[in-house]
Amino acid sequence: MTVRVLLVEDDALISEALSLALADQGCMVTQAACGEDALSMLDSVSVDVVLLDLMLPGMDGLAVCRELRVRGDLPVIVITARADSQDVIAGLEAGADDYVTKPLVAGELAARVRALLRRAAPVRRCCLQVGDLLLSTHDETVSRNGSPIRLTRTEFRLLAELAAAEGEVVTREQLLHRIWGRDYFGGTRLLDVHIRRLRRKVEPDPDCPHLVLTVRGIGYRAKPQQ
Amino acid sequence: MNRARLSLRFRVSAAFGLGLLVVVSVLSAATWHLATGYLLNQRQQSADRHSRINARLVDNEVRTQTDGLGELLSGLTSGPNSTILVSLPGGWHTAGRPVRPEALPSGLLSRARPGAPAHDRFTADGVPVLAVAQPLATATGFYVELHPLLGLERTFRNLRLILVAGTLACGLFGVALGAWAARRALRPLAAFTETAARIARGDMRARLPEQAGPDLAPLAETFNSTADALEQRVRRDARFAADVSHELRSPLTTMTTVAEVLERRRDAMPAPAQKALQLLLAELHRFRGMVLDLLEIAAVDQADNGEERELVDLGPLVRSGVASSPAPHPTLDLAPEPLLVAADRRRLDRVLANLLDNAARYGGGAVRVAAHARNGVVRLEVDDAGEGVPAELRERIFERFSRGLHAGRRDPDSGTGLGLAIVADHVYRHDGRVWAEARPGGGARSSWNSPKRAADAVLSRLPDRAARPGNCRCRVRS
Repeated sequence: MTVRVLLVEDDALISEALSLALADQGCMVTQAACGEDALSMLDSVSVDVVLLDLMLPGMDGLAVCRELRVRGDLPVIVITARADSQDVIAGLEAGADDYVTKPLVAGELAARVRALLRRAAPVRRCCLQVGDLLLSTHDETVSRNGSPIRLTRTEFRLLAELAAAEGEVVTREQLLHRIWGRDYFGGTRLLDVHIRRLRRKVEPDPDCPHLVLTVRGIGYRAKPQQ
Repeated sequence: MNRARLSLRFRVSAAFGLGLLVVVSVLSAATWHLATGYLLNQRQQSADRHSRINARLVDNEVRTQTDGLGELLSGLTSGPNSTILVSLPGGWHTAGRPVRPEALPSGLLSRARPGAPAHDRFTADGVPVLAVAQPLATATGFYVELHPLLGLERTFRNLRLILVAGTLACGLFGVALGAWAARRALRPLAAFTETAARIARGDMRARLPEQAGPDLAPLAETFNSTADALEQRVRRDARFAADVSHELRSPLTTMTTVAEVLERRRDAMPAPAQKALQLLLAELHRFRGMVLDLLEIAAVDQADNGEERELVDLGPLVRSGVASSPAPHPTLDLAPEPLLVAADRRRLDRVLANLLDNAARYGGGAVRVAAHARNGVVRLEVDDAGEGVPAELRERIFERFSRGLHAGRRDPDSGTGLGLAIVADHVYRHDGRVWAEARPGGGARSSWNSPKRAADAVLSRLPDRAARPGNCRCRVRS
């Protein structure tokens, strides 16, 4: 399957090189030099994933990311300055599904993209339940008492992994590996921010979660069904 | 030269003591002279009056020529210690305490004039006396009376005692006052010393408290502005390194990306191009690692706002870290209880990863990773079975771009020289300590101590090369 990628990067040399390398990895790359261009392109071009540099002239990368989230759940990978900076957290909070840091490696980037576009976890059942949430795995939707809750694909996969474990602990490593295809290192913020985002959407009181529970030092588990 | 070595406090004390001693001595001497002079004068005048009356009575007696002179003289003596001597042409007549006329000071009689008696103080047979001599009016002779000065002498002795004791006491008081004043004046210097030492230890934010006193305020101000300048300078240098690294990322991204494209077509290349590409890729890999490490260090140099801290259990962290490490897995020796530290999980991961990487790179791989809590301190140890770290290099290996015995070595497997520096920086940031030591039984151990929650420590053992070949351990302690 050819993956269609929209690359939003203002550095022409990097943009050219990444396009070349991603095309080499089997992606079809569309380039945009700024956020405004990218958003207007999306009206005419359909893509599978957006690669978004956070440092853009004009419209800020974070603003672009938020705008993409308002429009839908198109997967977004942000290119951030540093793994430890607030950039990563800001990008993920703005709705990004994953991040890569410069200097980046095209092979790694392609792996990120493929992991993101993978189907949700091996489906054992088409319907999962966490508390009063109903998850439908075939169309990746969540509802509470019949009213749908909008989750991004990554958020849904996270919730589905926890739900599928039926109250058992899922370790951080397992979650990072299954959802993002990452190893343990470097994934800390990724998981933390996604858990936070997920809780904000599904927990009645995100500060006092009772559906997505933390098992300190190990991982997370969903509220067990009675 | 000795004086130069005496402490300021000692010198101030001595100056206070000596100064006070001199002043009080002068005052005491003046007091002594005035008081004794006045008292003696009074005594002399009363003795004069007394003697004049007595001399007149003796004159009358001599003129009437009766034989009652001896009786009269006995009646005139005023106490057991007083003596009256009358010199007449027929010889000396004495009454009262016996004193031989020869004991009288020479010249006493010759100085005596009618109406102007002569005085002299001397000790007659152990009794201090005031001698008053005057010529008789009726006959050739002298009337001499010795007034005892026992009471006056006692008063003088007491006065002397009081003055000397008071002078000495004042001197001692001066020393004490000087010591107190010096300590009080120097107290702010202790704060200065402490602050300067903190800056020397790398705490660039250490500043002196504002001084209210006009004497120290300029010093504190100057000190603080110097520290400000120093901090800015250090930050500017750090920012420069960070900026350079940031700027390198973009070209590096382009280069690595393009090199990857080439690598996928390696098989289509002639042999020399393949070889060239291989070198290019290896160097790019190293270059990328170095830039990433520099960025990590630049991040360390930035202020830590503590936002990234959370409670981390070291046990699972070590298990995950070791499992994710590409190197052969070492033996784990982990405490069964939770080892909670307030830490930035990402940095802890990095510390462990770098220690494991160091063990793999230079010590043949980690053979044991241990984490335990002892005395409120969590310790992480990474052991390898390599040749160890020589004792003289055990501190230097934690410096930036220091690669211990491997300095100068450059091959695809050599590190950037920043891995252990990053470890040291991260550990320092967690108020911990990291060190390397010889491992009992061979190899190197690096350990890291970190305060547990508020005051615990984590420690990791890092493989390290030590002095005895085949039998050393390196410990990195935070």
